Amino acid sequence: MYFAGVDIGSTMTKVLLTDKSGNLLSTIKGPTGAEHRQLANEVMRQALQEANLQIDDISYIVATGYGRLNVPFADRQITELSCHARGVSSLFPSARTAIDIGGQDAKCMKIDNGRLTSFVMNDKCAAGTGRFLEVTATALGIKLEDMGEISLKAAKKIQISNLCTVFAQQEVVALLSRGEKLENIVAGLHDALAGRIAALARRLGVELDLVLTGGVAKNTGMVKAMKESLGCEILVPEEPLITGALGAAILAKEIYMKAVAAGEALPAKPRRLEKATFFSEEHQ
Amino acid sequence: MSWFMGVDIGSAHSKGVITRDSELAASHIIISGANYRTSAETIRTELVTKVNVTQSDIANTVATGSGADNVHFASQKASDIVCTARGINNVFPQARTVIDVASQSTRVIRLNEKGIVTNFTVSEKCAAGGGRFIEVIANVLRISLSDFSQLAARSRSPITFSTGCAVFGESEAITRISEGIPKEDIAAGVNKALASTISSLVKKLKLEEPCAVCGGGALNTALVKTIETELNTSLLIPPQPQLIAALGAAIIAATPPTSQSRKET
Repeated sequence: MYFAGVDIGSTMTKVLLTDKSGNLLSTIKGPTGAEHRQLANEVMRQALQEANLQIDDISYIVATGYGRLNVPFADRQITELSCHARGVSSLFPSARTAIDIGGQDAKCMKIDNGRLTSFVMNDKCAAGTGRFLEVTATALGIKLEDMGEISLKAAKKIQISNLCTVFAQQEVVALLSRGEKLENIVAGLHDALAGRIAALARRLGVELDLVLTGGVAKNTGMVKAMKESLGCEILVPEEPLITGALGAAILAKEIYMKAVAAGEALPAKPRRLEKATFFSEEHQ
Repeated sequence: MSWFMGVDIGSAHSKGVITRDSELAASHIIISGANYRTSAETIRTELVTKVNVTQSDIANTVATGSGADNVHFASQKASDIVCTARGINNVFPQARTVIDVASQSTRVIRLNEKGIVTNFTVSEKCAAGGGRFIEVIANVLRISLSDFSQLAARSRSPITFSTGCAVFGESEAITRISEGIPKEDIAAGVNKALASTISSLVKKLKLEEPCAVCGGGALNTALVKTIETELNTSLLIPPQPQLIAALGAAIIAATPPTSQSRKET
């Protein structure tokens, strides 16, 4: 008996397979990207290959994330908030607050007993999401994944005066040409984003333990800046990208077991791996 | 008979005018670039050449705009709000409201018959509140700003942006292109989004007619039409809408200091 969680984020697509006891069999990540929107099935195929399974070996599949409605092979769609909460508390049972910073939004969640109790999120303004770092990294000519390392060398933080990502993009280039050190600018960018996320989290009220997830949690400089902004310790999973997919796989198992116990209808087989797109035909 | 100069160093463009007896004698517009000081000097040189005088013939110069500090030859700085009001009052003395659509922000100003500012409001510090939103989307559509208005005017069904953020709007525009939505509907959609932001700014301040529109955004006639529809009024458009603040600065330069109200400086 095997279960799958598929998390289609704005930037990355994540697929995770578990067995009956919840052991991870494989996790595969691929960029969602503008041109890679049909990637869910490809990522799924790779995950199956790695676990040496066929699609019909999977008992139940839960899709989550921004693109969850367009995963044709999924049995159920569940919001990323519920999946993240479930995934985080399975990794850190002591977690009471989870902050997930993705490429398109930032979510702060309160968790009780593995369940989401309340949340606040920002998906209105790019300056409060990972996109802020993505855009400014491009402007600075550095890789997003190198930002953390670079910022740790900073002797000081340059304050970024513009809130808007579009204006900040211009500002960082101007700062560079004025001779400011790259690492100090990057540290300033982290500080600016961390300050905004911390303000969002305070609206919800931070309760410890606090877990940081999402692609931005892979940035050590951002984790440091978040600790400073919030003034508390932060737990980061080994693989901060996959908590949503993990939660989805756990929920898949729970739903399946409940259905079996209640004698309800189970997903029809055989399944087919089809192209997943973000915008199905009827939406056009 | 004296010559006066107004220089407006904006984030995108630097503008300068020379006036003589309150009449516009010459104007010059360049891209601000990285060095505002050089831009200011270029403008001065070009302007004096155009009217065939020397720098010492300019009786007084006033600077405005976000880069006003870089105009080292100006005797005084004036706020862009005050300069825009003065400039519009010179062109349209009847105007009681003016919408200034600049690159970084949009400003709505209420003014009296003397061109004195009675109230104003500025859009949030966000690219979606000014002409920059249009620049960002024009870049995605691979069309020049000068073609943007014509393109948008052809649209029959403008798209509705689901986001108020220029960065997310950029991604949304890319998605719409990949779905095969015509470029003109995307262009008209940005105009609609910006017009709606602008009209809520105007409503915040209460519209008093007649209302004028200026700044680089006023060159986008499709945008101006969309604002007119939103506000249900017709807007006065000066012949060179980007020059209004520079013109206002030149008028302030020509005003003897004693007659300037203290409130304004």
